Amino acid sequence: MNLEKVIFGFFVLLAATLNFGFFIGDISNPDVHNIYELFAALAVSLIATVLKFGDRTQIGAVHLATSLVADLQLIAAVVVWVWAEEISAAGITVGSTASVVSLSGGALLANLVSVVLLLTETVTFHRG
Amino acid sequence: MSNPLLIFWAQLFSRREPVGRVSSRVHVESSVQASSTIFLVMRRMRAPLITLIVIFFVSVVGLTLIPGIDPAGRPARLSLFESFYFTSYTATTIGFGELPWPFTPGQRLWVTFSIYLSVVGWAYAIGSLLTLLQDRSFRQALALRRFTRKVARLREPFLLVAGYGRAGELLAESFDALGQQLVVIDESSERVDALDLGSYHADIPGLVADAANPHHLSAAGLDHPCCAGVLALTSDDETNLAITMTAALLRPDLPVVSRTVSAPIADRMRAFGTPAVVNPFDRFGEHLRLALHAPASYQLLTWLEAGPGAELPTRGHPPTEGRWVMCGYGRFGREVTADLRAAGLEVSIIEPAERGEPEPGVIVGDASEAEVLDRADVTGAVGLVAGTDNDTTNLSMLASARRLNPELFLAARQNRPTSAALFEAMGVDALLVPTEVVAHEVYAQVSTPMLWRFIQEIPARGDQWAADLIQRLRRNCGHELPALWKVKLDRDQAPALAGWLAEGKVALGDLLRSPEDRERRLRVVPLLLLRGGDAVLTPDGEMVLARDDELLFAGQSSERRELESTMVVDSTGAYVLFDQHIPSSWVWRKLSRKHPTPSTLDDREGVTSRRG
Repeated sequence: MNLEKVIFGFFVLLAATLNFGFFIGDISNPDVHNIYELFAALAVSLIATVLKFGDRTQIGAVHLATSLVADLQLIAAVVVWVWAEEISAAGITVGSTASVVSLSGGALLANLVSVVLLLTETVTFHRG
Repeated sequence: MSNPLLIFWAQLFSRREPVGRVSSRVHVESSVQASSTIFLVMRRMRAPLITLIVIFFVSVVGLTLIPGIDPAGRPARLSLFESFYFTSYTATTIGFGELPWPFTPGQRLWVTFSIYLSVVGWAYAIGSLLTLLQDRSFRQALALRRFTRKVARLREPFLLVAGYGRAGELLAESFDALGQQLVVIDESSERVDALDLGSYHADIPGLVADAANPHHLSAAGLDHPCCAGVLALTSDDETNLAITMTAALLRPDLPVVSRTVSAPIADRMRAFGTPAVVNPFDRFGEHLRLALHAPASYQLLTWLEAGPGAELPTRGHPPTEGRWVMCGYGRFGREVTADLRAAGLEVSIIEPAERGEPEPGVIVGDASEAEVLDRADVTGAVGLVAGTDNDTTNLSMLASARRLNPELFLAARQNRPTSAALFEAMGVDALLVPTEVVAHEVYAQVSTPMLWRFIQEIPARGDQWAADLIQRLRRNCGHELPALWKVKLDRDQAPALAGWLAEGKVALGDLLRSPEDRERRLRVVPLLLLRGGDAVLTPDGEMVLARDDELLFAGQSSERRELESTMVVDSTGAYVLFDQHIPSSWVWRKLSRKHPTPSTLDDREGVTSRRG
């Protein structure tokens, strides 16, 4: 067992699960989407990105790309949420919730690709 | 051809044919090493960055969880955004204060904790980054990357110089004066720093690396299409052999010049293709032999090999009869002794240290002692060669020998450049500086092949011919060696002459007249004429030139420009060669109908229109 692989897999999966947890539920209902979960998803996603730094293989490059996409989507979601909560006069509305959740949905897709890559890597490793 | 645009065109594209433009054959992967730099940074920054992210996350979330109160006294927690804002300016030590409201003691407790945490996190991250920048391997990787990029961007023919010692430095100066681009690779960082400090016209890329490694040679442009030659000049024979091998195997089309002082190594080098091997000891012996029976030839040869701007060396008069004493019977001593004996001279040998069984006739002893010199009968000898590999020993031998016999002709080998002043003060008659011999030899071989051909022909011509040529060069060009340049009489370099050359009307003497006043001769000395494979040394004025002849001239650059205008502008050519004035513009030429040599001009105009 390789500790590095454990940590790597742990963070990639955790990023995906946290993201999924935030995303699941009625897209326009702010009550079913916890902002702390979004924040945690962003932090874990950033850590996963840093863990993917410095891998020279082709699959490593795709890993890094998917993580960067997820980060971008999550940061956009957080910014929209901050805007709705702190700046806009209307506060958290159905529309703003929907856009935050749909942005995190995009990030979820990228995280899923990451997980698929992780699995592919693992499977090919065993075959080789 | 009088059209300025056409002249410009001809000047631009005719001067130098592209040297050594060949397609790259073998690509040794060298960029891997260089491109790993960025990955190295990213890999080593992983831990500090993750630490920072975790610290930030913990501080921000913790702060939102601690209960606070607003000015009205109601319980109010910080939102995630406010908390993130606060942590950002606190962690980066900006510190705007407690926003949006004064904190409760509980919040302050948490903030105190997170301040210490974040300061540690930042210090760790910045410290790691700085350590990485100071890291030796990282800096080397950066330097290699910069060097590789610089070499890859070269778009002119360049020579790859491996080993930037004294010989490399002398060569770099000569080639830089000729406008030849170089790339240097040397093992010592001090030497590469010296390269940066040197005052060269061109920006010469230098790399600190082991030249015996093919990857480094490849990074230095061995597989670059513009690489025009490889010079292996390191002081280590094995390394030079490795460079010669690499170049011969990876780029068999490239000329290779390699330095060695050992005959077996030279043979091993010759097993790989046809490298030009320069053995300074061997060459010194040949030079000494030449100097013995033809002092003027030797003087001419050393002058031409010394490169542009060199002062005319003084002509020595070594004794051609009598007995010589050879002190130091190592590789150098053996070479020189063999050459002296081949020249019909008697040689007594003194060997300082006993190496196994002394050869018959070899006197063993310290040659700086008068008693040992007496045994070799220095008083009855005509010349002495101090040839050990130690400058102090050589100097003391010379001093003792001179005291015993002031008439002695003294030859010495100088090993370190710092001893130059001492040997000069000693007034040695012939001095061998191996590095300079190598530099001059390589320069003569590589700068233009015609010069090398000329130099090889010198000994066969005899002493009187050389003395006359030196007189002529001095009269025309002064005491300093003028620039040597070659001209090929083809349609690119001499478009104005093409027609006349085909008719056999151009005599060399007429060509070398001044375009200002054809009664004045250009102060240019023709050294060599190559026609097909045949060489004519110092062709005279009667020589009738033909198309595609190649000529090697010596002369100042102002004279060179005048000659070039004769070869390119046809009205100038007509005046210089035949004293005829033809209008330079096409319209005026038609109006005046003054066609001095109609057939040739028609032919010439046909050429011009095809070219245009």
